[in-house]
Amino acid sequence: MMLIKRYIPLAIVFVFGIMTLATYYIPPKLAQDYYLETMNKWINIVAAFAFLLALLSLFYSHYNKIKRKVDGWGYSIFVYIGFLVVVVCAIKSEGQLMTGPALTSLGWIFRFLYNTLSASMFAVLAYYIVSTAFRSFRIKTLQAFVLFMAALFFIIGKVPLGNVLWNKLFFWTNVSISQVTDWIINVPSVAAKRGIMIGIAVGAIVTSLKIIFGIERQYMGKD
Amino acid sequence: MSETWLIIGGWVAAGLTIFIFSFLYKDNPFFKIAEHLYLGAGMGWWFQVMFYNIWKPKVWEPVKILVNGLQIIQSYHIWKPEFWKAVWTAGDWTIFIPTLLGLSLITQFFQKISWVSRYGFTFIMGYGAGLVIPVSVSTDFMTQILGTIKPLFKVGTEMSWASFFYTFNTFLIAFGLVCVLIYFFFSAEQKGLVKKASNIGIYFLMLYFGAAFGNTVMGRFSLLYGRFDDLYKYSSVKYFYAAQIIAAALAVYFILNHFISAKKSRAAQDNSGS
Repeated sequence: MMLIKRYIPLAIVFVFGIMTLATYYIPPKLAQDYYLETMNKWINIVAAFAFLLALLSLFYSHYNKIKRKVDGWGYSIFVYIGFLVVVVCAIKSEGQLMTGPALTSLGWIFRFLYNTLSASMFAVLAYYIVSTAFRSFRIKTLQAFVLFMAALFFIIGKVPLGNVLWNKLFFWTNVSISQVTDWIINVPSVAAKRGIMIGIAVGAIVTSLKIIFGIERQYMGKD
Repeated sequence: MSETWLIIGGWVAAGLTIFIFSFLYKDNPFFKIAEHLYLGAGMGWWFQVMFYNIWKPKVWEPVKILVNGLQIIQSYHIWKPEFWKAVWTAGDWTIFIPTLLGLSLITQFFQKISWVSRYGFTFIMGYGAGLVIPVSVSTDFMTQILGTIKPLFKVGTEMSWASFFYTFNTFLIAFGLVCVLIYFFFSAEQKGLVKKASNIGIYFLMLYFGAAFGNTVMGRFSLLYGRFDDLYKYSSVKYFYAAQIIAAALAVYFILNHFISAKKSRAAQDNSGS
């Protein structure tokens, strides 16, 4: 039983990990035509089923809320309503958003329901980011001041009022606010970003090697 | 889509936007309805994306071709090589491998056989890990180093402010990167020169975090402008003042709710007092 429960899955990780890694050292056309193309198709299919797992898990969780009539169980019904409305419209319009210049029912749902909700949900975060920063951020050190100034330049640099104020107050510098923000993003930010990216790359390589060689196996869960 | 549907869409969009924004005042049933609707609609949206882009063309269609192809084999005897040749050429048999690996994930719901899901997860992890190594080495590691190691002076250019700034910026990027890397280097004790370099690295990081924060804030605000722009559009006579009517109705709800809950809490206090 240990063989099929533990060793074969570990062998799958090892084999697919090493084979995928090896494609980097095989002529690109050969690797692309015979391996990566097939694997990309396979991973898409498996990922689609992983999405199905998430969907069923969500439905199960909300079904339990409705069944046990926990606080706010009525809202869970709207999860099913939202899902069904989109899926029924998608089936009706065969997954197409437009037919010629006209919106299909799925296109209507996307524009007036999904897109609206999505944009509104993220737009609300604008208030919370600013209010949280205002309440919790205190300039007590020089480092905090540098962070604040960089953020301030970026915020005022992207609104017309900020540009007008900058031109009135700092006209004698002969430098526009967009030049300052460009310099920050292209010079000191690049240095920091590269440092972070190199760190992430080293971490990702080490973790991947640990996964391939079966040292890291938490994703397999408990026996 | 008829004009009527566009007007209904305007009412739906204005209503949902105002419901979401109502959370800024306080948590309320309208926000919760919109929130749950978003969750369901989001899952529905991704479900149809998966269905029309993956399950239908990459799983269902190949299986259908395979089943149609297998109908030919009825004319052959099982012992004949033509039978097996027909079976092999009927379609793409490999499609069953990712399908079964994917289906294995669903066993997570059944505790006794949940270990079967490891087959699907290990495939994802193995392929992902194998892909990450060369990608990280080439794009995140080597490219970043190559982008930093540049000549400090442009050959054949005369001294000018532009060439001076080029040299200064190139040096600053290289110097900043070294300082940031020293900050992230935990194998050596942070004291003396290492500590000083590490402190300079923090300033570079702060500039980056500040820029990233500013960009994020402005990105969110651009979404907010978009929502206000839509609300303005739906407040026109063409949409029968949808935005104003919904906002006013919600304001009335909040006022009534305030008085009713105040009355209820007073009644509860009286009851507890007596």
